Amino acid sequence: MGGALITAGRFIGPSNPNAEKNSPYECGFEAFEDARMKFDVRYYLVAILFIIFDLEIAFLVPWAVVLDSISPAAFGAMALFLFILVIGFIYEWKKGALEWE
Amino acid sequence: MNNLHVATPEIFLLVAVCTVLVVDLFQTDKRRVVTYWLSQATLVITLALCFGQLGDEPVTAFNGAYTMDSMSATLKCWILGIALLGFLYSRDYIGERDIQNGEYYVLGLFGVGGMMIMVSANNMLSIYLGLELLALSLYAMVALYRTSSRAAEAAMKYFVLGALASGMLLYGMSMVYGATGSLDLATINNIIASAVEGGSDSDESVYRSLGARFGLTFIIVGVAFKLGAVPFHMWLPDVYEGAPTSVTLYIATAPKIAAFAMVIRLLVDALPTLHSDWQQMLAILAALSLIVGNLVAIAQSNIKRMLAYSTISHVGFLLLGIVAGTAEGYSAAMFYAVTYAFTTLAAFGVLLAISANGYEADELVSLSGLARRKPLLAMVMMLSLISLAGVPPLVGFYAKLSVLKAVIGADFLWLAVVGVIMSVIGAFYYLRAIKLMYFDEPIADTVEVSETVGTDTTKDNEAIVTSAPSLSGPIAVRGDVGLGLAINGAAVILFGIFPGLIMAACIRAFT
Amino acid sequence: MDNFILLIVTILKIILIIVPLLIAVAYLTLAERKVIGSMQARVGPNRVGWRGLAQPFADLFKLLTKEVIVPSSSSRFLFLIAPVLSLAPAFAAWAVVPFSDGLVLADVNAGLLYVLAMTSLGVYGVIIAGWASNSKYAFLGAMRSAAQIVAYEIAMGFALIGVLMMSGSLNLSDIVRAQSGGIGHWFLLPLFPLAVVYFISGVAETNRAPFDVAEGESEIVAGFHVDYSGMAFAVFFLAEYANMIMIAALTAIMFLGGWLSPIDGFGDGFHWFLIKTSLMLFFFLWFRATFPRYRYDQIMRLGWKVFIPVTIVWIAVVGFAIYFNVGPWFQIRSI
Repeated sequence: MGGALITAGRFIGPSNPNAEKNSPYECGFEAFEDARMKFDVRYYLVAILFIIFDLEIAFLVPWAVVLDSISPAAFGAMALFLFILVIGFIYEWKKGALEWE
Repeated sequence: MNNLHVATPEIFLLVAVCTVLVVDLFQTDKRRVVTYWLSQATLVITLALCFGQLGDEPVTAFNGAYTMDSMSATLKCWILGIALLGFLYSRDYIGERDIQNGEYYVLGLFGVGGMMIMVSANNMLSIYLGLELLALSLYAMVALYRTSSRAAEAAMKYFVLGALASGMLLYGMSMVYGATGSLDLATINNIIASAVEGGSDSDESVYRSLGARFGLTFIIVGVAFKLGAVPFHMWLPDVYEGAPTSVTLYIATAPKIAAFAMVIRLLVDALPTLHSDWQQMLAILAALSLIVGNLVAIAQSNIKRMLAYSTISHVGFLLLGIVAGTAEGYSAAMFYAVTYAFTTLAAFGVLLAISANGYEADELVSLSGLARRKPLLAMVMMLSLISLAGVPPLVGFYAKLSVLKAVIGADFLWLAVVGVIMSVIGAFYYLRAIKLMYFDEPIADTVEVSETVGTDTTKDNEAIVTSAPSLSGPIAVRGDVGLGLAINGAAVILFGIFPGLIMAACIRAFT
Repeated sequence: MDNFILLIVTILKIILIIVPLLIAVAYLTLAERKVIGSMQARVGPNRVGWRGLAQPFADLFKLLTKEVIVPSSSSRFLFLIAPVLSLAPAFAAWAVVPFSDGLVLADVNAGLLYVLAMTSLGVYGVIIAGWASNSKYAFLGAMRSAAQIVAYEIAMGFALIGVLMMSGSLNLSDIVRAQSGGIGHWFLLPLFPLAVVYFISGVAETNRAPFDVAEGESEIVAGFHVDYSGMAFAVFFLAEYANMIMIAALTAIMFLGGWLSPIDGFGDGFHWFLIKTSLMLFFFLWFRATFPRYRYDQIMRLGWKVFIPVTIVWIAVVGFAIYFNVGPWFQIRSI
């Protein structure tokens, strides 16, 4: 669908490229240096934290579905798991991993 | 519930570490007094809990994944005791270098938890779990000294090679699992025993024993990496040298005990039927470690590097006991691991005490004239080094003796000869350090101060200028550290004269 | 032969979903301009067709006849594939959405997981677009968008855990059925904090105002799609609005009882689903007209420091309440 739309656009729309038009947009400046620059390490940190919490969610999903038929041990185990993750969360919070400015 | 009480010390430790972690977050005190004392209290209480388990009958818990037997109870007590003294020695060192204090203790405690799990593991998975908990804590501890580029490099090396070793070990474990269909050590033993007995009668038993042998090879490589046996020792000197001395102390002591337990669990508990296979591999590792460790140590001028190579040679000795393949050999190796750990602990403790005021005592020359600057430190260091060299009245002698006896008893005369010759060669570099302490003048104050600490940041250097460290004057040692070192040094003598105190427990572990 | 017929039928069903969806997207753009216009005391588009009703088609034809510029320094293939990658999941997710009882293309059991996966996949289109354009604005926009989506994804996931605990099923139809019994049984009430978090996270995930820092016309001139034009731009546009409708529909299904009527058994059916979805879509437009754009650090703070703690606490509350059978609301209805 998307491919078809773009192809249609390519065929129906005019195509007369020139160097000015094809340069990356930069508010009228000439583009200087490569745009693929170094970026803030915090993005990386956020990505790592995301993986941890996303895995946590993945663990929670099957547990949540069968919540009404599990043993107290299983319930307690998940409570423990959440507890440990909350400690981790408090830690990263206090250490400033979530600060952005 | 299934014997949860078996793991009481570990459960307590885990809860306490979480508490320490959270309490530390809300501390503003730069020296982290509360964190320190909480950590020590945690260790003391866990030690008490382990002590209570000492005489108990062996039991397993968690569906056989966890065991509490004579060996695990004894080794846990030693690990905790050594960690306790280690924290005591490290306190001032890390406080001075601004290595995030709280994390140091928390990671250290997590590492202790990992070691306890390793020691008590009765299942391939729990062994690996404990190992990783320990290893990940160690990587982070090495990297904690963020302003030092050497520490960062060491951490990187440690992490990469450690991960490789873990991979090898896991690969071997998965092969053994594939061959036997079980992760439980006793079940693995039974299945492989019947497969080996079956010989080439059926395809199944051929495949099983073949798969297990393949797995064994990888397991040995992984274990050798973790222990630092030649030719898998390359990471060890660099990590010892690059890591902050307090972390080196931590790596060099208690984890060796845990690694010994891991070897016993993997080879003796799970794969004793393949004894003749792993015996040969270990014999080669042991001989190479002894030779390379002792010879290369002579050439070192950095004391941490020297002790690293000394560790390699002692790992060789440790393996000798296991090579013997008898209960006598195992208990000798256990004795060796324990005594080596607390003897090295004393040596590093002294190094930490010297490294005060921003001065990094990692060159051999910084020991010069120690006897005149602080007799207690020189005394403890001397006891420790002589014991490592294996001179009679001290504990190291008896350790070496019992290992050699076991090796000879198992008809590995050539290994025993290598061991003896190499100990004699090894004595040279230990004695050289002692000569520096007792017969040489302290180095003059102006010598190379800036260079020895050159890797630190400018901030650190400014601190040094303000409180210019004296390399010849007397050294102030805190009361509790002095007491700890004195006890540690006394232990080296005491257990040397009465080795039966430890040996009895070691023998009980393997009968 | 049977397989062939099945294929034809399935394709017909897909067309039956996609065509109305496209029309819905088209008229959502018109509705947006009209609604915001009214809120700002303007008329909105009213020239093309009767009261501007033909406006979306005029826009479409305009975009269709514009040139698709591919910047010279861009990675050509990635540049062209990115819009497709962001549109495909936005449409694919509709496969498991139950429009009414039994009226669903694929009644799969792991529907919720599928939806979660599909809504997260959209970020790839954005990141690839930002990277492929090789323009600083686009790159910045893509980075921001990625970190933001990642942060809100967690809150969203936690909110869904609450829904799972209440319904005991991953099947979207079953989730709706678990809410039967009138407005008092909708998950909106017991899971109110999670519902709010879910919807706001949905707004953030679709990069809509006030969370539109990834586009932010006034600071990074449209962000990741700054270099896109013509139909390539239109496809991004399409994906954004399709995602909006998706989030609105999912909120309706998971918290507002989907096709169920507010009064038990009184005229359940597709029209209720439509009404609820439209209501949620109206919120989208309302937000845009009302709130100024968040600053980026405020967005991250809201995601990490407000939503995640709130959802964790509420999950614990719901978990305990369900497990120990507390209160009238926290009982799992067997399906």
